[in-house]
Amino acid sequence: MNDTVTLAHGAGGEQTSELIERVFKKHFSNPNLTADDAAVLMPPKGRMAMTTDGFIVSPAFFPGGNIGKLSICGTVNDLSCMGAKPLYLTCSFVIEEGFSMEKLEEIAAAMEKTAAECGVQIVAGDTKVAGKGQVDGVFITTTGVGEIVEGVETSGTKAAPGDAIIVTGDVGRHGCTILLARDEFGIDADVTSDCAPLWSAVQGIIEAAPDVHVIRDATRGGVGTVLYEIAGQSQVGIRLNQTDVPVQPQVKGVCRMLGLEPLYLACEGRLVVFVPAEEAEKVVEALKATPYGKEAAIIGHVTEENVGRVIMTTEIGTQSVLPKPGGELLPRIC
Amino acid sequence: MSERLSARDIITSYHGKKLRIMEVCGTHTHEIFRLGIRQLLTPEVELISGPGCPVCVTPAGFIDEAIWLALEKHVTICSFGDLVRVPGSKMSLAGARAQGAKVQVVYAPIDAEEYAKAHPEEEVVFLSVGFETTTPSSCIAVQQAIEDGISNFALLTANKTMPSAYHALKDYVDVYLYPGHVNAITGTKLCESLVDEGISGVVSGFTANELMTAIACAIKKSEEGKPFFVNAYPRVVTREGSVEAQKLVASMMDEIDTEWRGLGVIPKSGLKLNEKYAAYDARIKFAIPPMEGRSNTACRCGEVLQGKIKSPECPLFGKACTPLHPVGACMVSGEGACSAYYTYGNVRNDNNE
Amino acid sequence: MCVGLQGKVIKIRKGTAVIDADGAKREVSVQLLDDLEPGDYVMVHAGTAIAKITDDDENEMNSVLDGLL
Repeated sequence: MNDTVTLAHGAGGEQTSELIERVFKKHFSNPNLTADDAAVLMPPKGRMAMTTDGFIVSPAFFPGGNIGKLSICGTVNDLSCMGAKPLYLTCSFVIEEGFSMEKLEEIAAAMEKTAAECGVQIVAGDTKVAGKGQVDGVFITTTGVGEIVEGVETSGTKAAPGDAIIVTGDVGRHGCTILLARDEFGIDADVTSDCAPLWSAVQGIIEAAPDVHVIRDATRGGVGTVLYEIAGQSQVGIRLNQTDVPVQPQVKGVCRMLGLEPLYLACEGRLVVFVPAEEAEKVVEALKATPYGKEAAIIGHVTEENVGRVIMTTEIGTQSVLPKPGGELLPRIC
Repeated sequence: MSERLSARDIITSYHGKKLRIMEVCGTHTHEIFRLGIRQLLTPEVELISGPGCPVCVTPAGFIDEAIWLALEKHVTICSFGDLVRVPGSKMSLAGARAQGAKVQVVYAPIDAEEYAKAHPEEEVVFLSVGFETTTPSSCIAVQQAIEDGISNFALLTANKTMPSAYHALKDYVDVYLYPGHVNAITGTKLCESLVDEGISGVVSGFTANELMTAIACAIKKSEEGKPFFVNAYPRVVTREGSVEAQKLVASMMDEIDTEWRGLGVIPKSGLKLNEKYAAYDARIKFAIPPMEGRSNTACRCGEVLQGKIKSPECPLFGKACTPLHPVGACMVSGEGACSAYYTYGNVRNDNNE
Repeated sequence: MCVGLQGKVIKIRKGTAVIDADGAKREVSVQLLDDLEPGDYVMVHAGTAIAKITDDDENEMNSVLDGLL
């Protein structure tokens, strides 16, 4: 087999079959993976959740993961946030002509491993090859369905005054990792992406608090953006204790260097959870028993006043508004 | 130390005569808002945000020059991130980028030089803005270009110096919070000598402790009723400052009259590369035609920068002009007074809940 | 106007040094400073170390306020 992907691999002929056999079937093999035009599946028992997400990360490989792992985590986590156990995924690849076959296989292997970890099956796929320069390396879109655990009803509109706000781990690591991996600012730091599939964390949450109000994964825009979204959707205020937000020291260091706010750096393995205050401790304990929830912490609570706003209690005990998310992240000198 | 009041106590218990304190530095403005320091102040103390954000005082014409270089001369523009969204007469650099301009955000001037070295096929211009703190870094980048023997690197200068602003704004202010990192370079002699002209001030650092200490000093010394100077940032700022930096800049730059956005031309308040370094001056190298920048006439950034009005008094504030769609420069930079007001300004003082 | 970054000098080369701010490392120019040694703390702005830091802000606050009396 060639060591790079060529346009012929996307033409639908023999080479396409070869690519599918040797990369995708090899890694995605499971009883439900279709060789026909569509997968034929048993419907979930209860209500179903369905979502889709596109992935175009640059660079495609970074400390702590690659675009393949990311593409599974992203969709699995979106389903999980609705209280849905991820069941099936489809994935669609757009690959740039000349992309390394070895790298592609590495991506597929990461997808296999991550899917296995959370018990989700890849049931259908598609591959297109685009001419050199038409895409950057490889783009992946995944679509997933999951079965919602009976009795669980999460929604961004359900945050209520008094709710405790929990994050499942330290914030901003994925965004920081990508920033460093692009090597535009000459900064070195030992930071690894938090990219992780979070169904196990959600299981922990809903076992401890089946009436959990909101679960959302803090991806693009970070935890800060999620807080503003929920404040708006639920028409409540949010009070954040700045000093309680877990941030790795080296992430803080990078942020100080570039004038960035860790709360706005992307995570790919962190949830923001709103639960009734009396259940908060129980949820934190449950999260700590899961693989990706060891650093879980209560970071604030929901208020009736200051609707639509996120107010922080600062290091000197005063209040300050968390600046609203906006535009592209630009390092500042002044 | 039980007999001495803490900085916080001094600030929260002041009920003497009305005191207007201007933080000159944009980073101070930003930190004061971020830390919620205004909530500690009594009604007798007013903090005014001054013109010390280089992005805010960079005129529209400068952005026009950079865009001209990028679009007409296909120069790669390297810039601090803050400048990318500043509106020029027609568009910002971000807008120009959408039209094909190559704009590279860098952390430091020396990174722009390194980029030029690594891309000999491109002409690279660094947008050299900033006050005394930043100018030496630009000079070092030019020195490095000379040492590396590269000729595809130049500066588009808009470097400014602070002292003229201290004179220009003194009638609106009782006490300046001097910009600690400018003083780290320049030392404190000039600020000391301003006392003879009746101008009072305190050099401040940037942490919560340092800002509270500086404000407490301003309050205590004002009570004595005569002009004063205090260096409240002695762990970084010395009387002499950085003699190396002063020498470096003096050997490479000449003083010029320069335009401050919103304030107009202030004599001898700017710097440009001197004749010896003309080859690294983008205006000479690319024969940039004169550009008269036009700003939105309703924008009152100028008065905001002088502390004459508060941001919400501008008719554009929060309506036509927001951080996502800035009209005036004070809204663009996270340190601009308007942006800080918009972002943090209307937190109710519910500290006593 | 000038974001400063406090960092610890961990390695000195000719005219430059690697500084560490809570684990974030970067090479900066140190040509404005004399007698720098690994372990020193410096204030960095725009890729240049502009001053040595001689104390922490807590001690500084106390000595400045004592000086007011």
